[in-house]
Amino acid sequence: MREVVSIARARGLQADLFVRKVWEKSIEYEAGTFRGYVVREHTGCGLRVIRPDKHLGFYAFTPPCAPSEAVDQALEVSAFGDVVDFTIPSYPSTTEWKDFVDPRLEELSVREMVEIGEYLVGQLKATHPEVLTNVRIVAGREERELFNHHEEEIRFARTFFDISVEATRVKDDDILTVYVERGWGNRDIDVDDLLKEVELRLDLSERVVSIQSGQYPVLFTPSGCMVLLYPLLYGLSGRNIAFGKSPLQDKLGKVLFSSLFSLVEVPQEPWALGSCPFDDEGILTPEERVLVESGKVEDGFWDLWSAARTGRRTTASGFRRSPWDMPEPGFSVLKIKNGLRDRETLVEELEEGLVVDSLLGLGQSNIASGFFSCGVQLGFYVRGGEIQGRVKNVMISGNAYEALKNIKELSRDCRWVQGSILAPYILVEPIQVNAAS
Amino acid sequence: MREILRDLARRPQNGEYLEIRLEHIVTTSIRIHNTTVERLKVTEERGGSLRILHPKTGWWFASFQGWDNLGEYVVSGLRSVALLPQGRTGVVRGEGAEEEIRFFPREDFREKPLGEKVQLLFTYARMLREASPFVVSAVVEYRDEWRTVYFANSDGSVIFWEKPDISLSFVATARKGDQIEVYRDGVAGKAGFELVRELEELAHRVGKQAEALLFARPFPGGVYDVVLDPVLAGVFIHEAFGHLSEADFLSRNERLQKLMVLGKPIASPVLSVFDDGSLENLRGSSPYDDEGTRTQRTYLIREGYLSGRLHSRETAFLLGESPTGNARTISYRFPPIVRMTNTGIEPGTVSPQDLFADIERGVYAVEYVGGNTALELFTFSPAYGYLIERGKVGEMVKDIVLSGNLFQTLGKIDAVANDFRWTEVGWCGKGEQMGLPTPTGSPHVRLREVLVGGQYHA
Repeated sequence: MREVVSIARARGLQADLFVRKVWEKSIEYEAGTFRGYVVREHTGCGLRVIRPDKHLGFYAFTPPCAPSEAVDQALEVSAFGDVVDFTIPSYPSTTEWKDFVDPRLEELSVREMVEIGEYLVGQLKATHPEVLTNVRIVAGREERELFNHHEEEIRFARTFFDISVEATRVKDDDILTVYVERGWGNRDIDVDDLLKEVELRLDLSERVVSIQSGQYPVLFTPSGCMVLLYPLLYGLSGRNIAFGKSPLQDKLGKVLFSSLFSLVEVPQEPWALGSCPFDDEGILTPEERVLVESGKVEDGFWDLWSAARTGRRTTASGFRRSPWDMPEPGFSVLKIKNGLRDRETLVEELEEGLVVDSLLGLGQSNIASGFFSCGVQLGFYVRGGEIQGRVKNVMISGNAYEALKNIKELSRDCRWVQGSILAPYILVEPIQVNAAS
Repeated sequence: MREILRDLARRPQNGEYLEIRLEHIVTTSIRIHNTTVERLKVTEERGGSLRILHPKTGWWFASFQGWDNLGEYVVSGLRSVALLPQGRTGVVRGEGAEEEIRFFPREDFREKPLGEKVQLLFTYARMLREASPFVVSAVVEYRDEWRTVYFANSDGSVIFWEKPDISLSFVATARKGDQIEVYRDGVAGKAGFELVRELEELAHRVGKQAEALLFARPFPGGVYDVVLDPVLAGVFIHEAFGHLSEADFLSRNERLQKLMVLGKPIASPVLSVFDDGSLENLRGSSPYDDEGTRTQRTYLIREGYLSGRLHSRETAFLLGESPTGNARTISYRFPPIVRMTNTGIEPGTVSPQDLFADIERGVYAVEYVGGNTALELFTFSPAYGYLIERGKVGEMVKDIVLSGNLFQTLGKIDAVANDFRWTEVGWCGKGEQMGLPTPTGSPHVRLREVLVGGQYHA
């Protein structure tokens, strides 16, 4: 691989080569029955070159590929490529990272995965015999390597583990699906805690209640509050700011949200998915970075390209969706600051309102303006401080930026969403709720 | 290559079903943003997968890169699959097919110089930008892909495919103060470079529509009568019903099977829905699916009655029905799963104008942003709409998301017009597999009493 960038250097180019190797295995249960085993082994390489006249070229490939051919291809592309203001950086000399690899996951056998699967299926069958359970368990290892024309290289590896449970209950013409997943970088996923969460949702969903349209306080669960976070992350992207597509374009440094709301990025959070010692452009990540502090927007996500465009410095936020993609501003690991009281207390104090756990159609609204309008996939009606039952055929609508202003309280207890966002329960008032009946 | 595959696919000795898939994928992606080439990349991928079903255990699937170690994979796969835990599945076996499916585009995009592609896109980006002073961001996104597939299975099938795909989309972001609106449209097809020529008018229209959205009023939430244009009606039937007709949702769920028993009245009698992978040259079309089963037209609803469902070899086995040629995969990285191909609502007899006549207050919902489904519940969003008052189509409105319930909404379709057309730009995501081309077709359709989300209540 080093040869590719050496050839680029010999031709007077700046270059970096990103290599991602993934090895994963997974098992699947469908309706409580073992269905199959999957093993995947993939490597992808992305070569970026910058010519002396600053034109950018990119070519991605799967090995094997003749090194000079890769450089030829990237050069051909560069003839029409963007003129860029950044240079390919030098890599840090240190390679002493915190631990990202759990050997227990590398050695995890099919038999152990099957044991977990059987346990989940068996427990749910015992407590909820009417429910059909799908389970998926994935374990794997990922390596990221970067080589540059300075003849430096940098690499790190991490493991990942993901368990998801989908429980379906059909009663007359009511179909309920409860989906709970846990992702983490080591073996320590609490299977019983996951199970408890599935069971709680099934039990609370037993009764379907109808509600009137109107404005209600809504308590978003950690997974439910992604509807508020996604538009904000869009707005904080340096690329969207650079192109004038972000409503936060001229608002960095201003107080926009409730003083209860703070958001930080913690790229080196041990074992969180997404944690990394450097981003996909080879920039060392900080331990912690403030994005929103007590409602004030402090900073966004900047990769080399968007930082150069706007006269800023990269924030080690250049991430690639896959080796086939060039870096774009993104996040590693996020934490929303929690509050002081437990979620139970927040529910108990709700005279009337909704608890919203998952939504349908998150990407269908105008994410740029913050407008959202989503079907409630799993949500509960609260009256007199108690959950009365599940709501159905209900939509919630609003604007995420407005909602972040109208935060009334955040819970003390938090949960990891997709292993990379630590979020509390967030109480917002008011939210428009429209019901079919 | 074909001989090697044929030999390897014959290896199973103990009743296993075995499938080999090798792919070579070359893509060019170009993204012009205002006056710059924001993205330009050429990628080349060579990979394969092997899938084996053991009659007593389950599936063993491996995906890998390079084509060199195929023989070793087959040996280790056959050994490993026997050691898996006991399962309960099977496949309907087929007759082997030997075929070579080639594609000859009018203008082969592989032969077009990169510079020609970039220049054309720059022209479009300028038209998009110049369409309105409010457009702050004009994006033209182009992608072409030439996929070569070798497929073989233990039923004796050896199929060679060429699968080209080309798409171009325009995205305009218009801004007025803090208000930001995004509008997109484009073309896609199983075609050559000719598909993306002469799109100046479309580029101009996309810029104009983004501007118009800035001045449109948000539509208040509530329950309304709705007329869907053919584009949105296609998305609606894909989300509202198509997914629940994919048999993997119910192949192991007896209660769901009872709920979705064939012959049951499920929609109003004006509604007939089909899926057809055997149509000529749509993006969801192919003579065979990714398990080597011949594609066909399957009626899902006939005059309001549930009349069929979509199958892979496995779901057909589990339900004792026949495969329908609906096992599809987005690439060698994933096993084929049950998917729609080209899905449509059959045209009715009334003219589209007649659908508006007796609507007191409602919305005419046009084009789409997206759709989503969770079994019986679904949402889908038009790009914009128009108020309907006393049978007349009036001012433009925006921020409309429609929601429904399978068992209620299909019964509320009370009129289907006669102006059927296909929309090719749509794609679908299911499980881990995103971005599968799934064209939809429909005429104008009227729905009564639909729940519409909105920031304000009507």
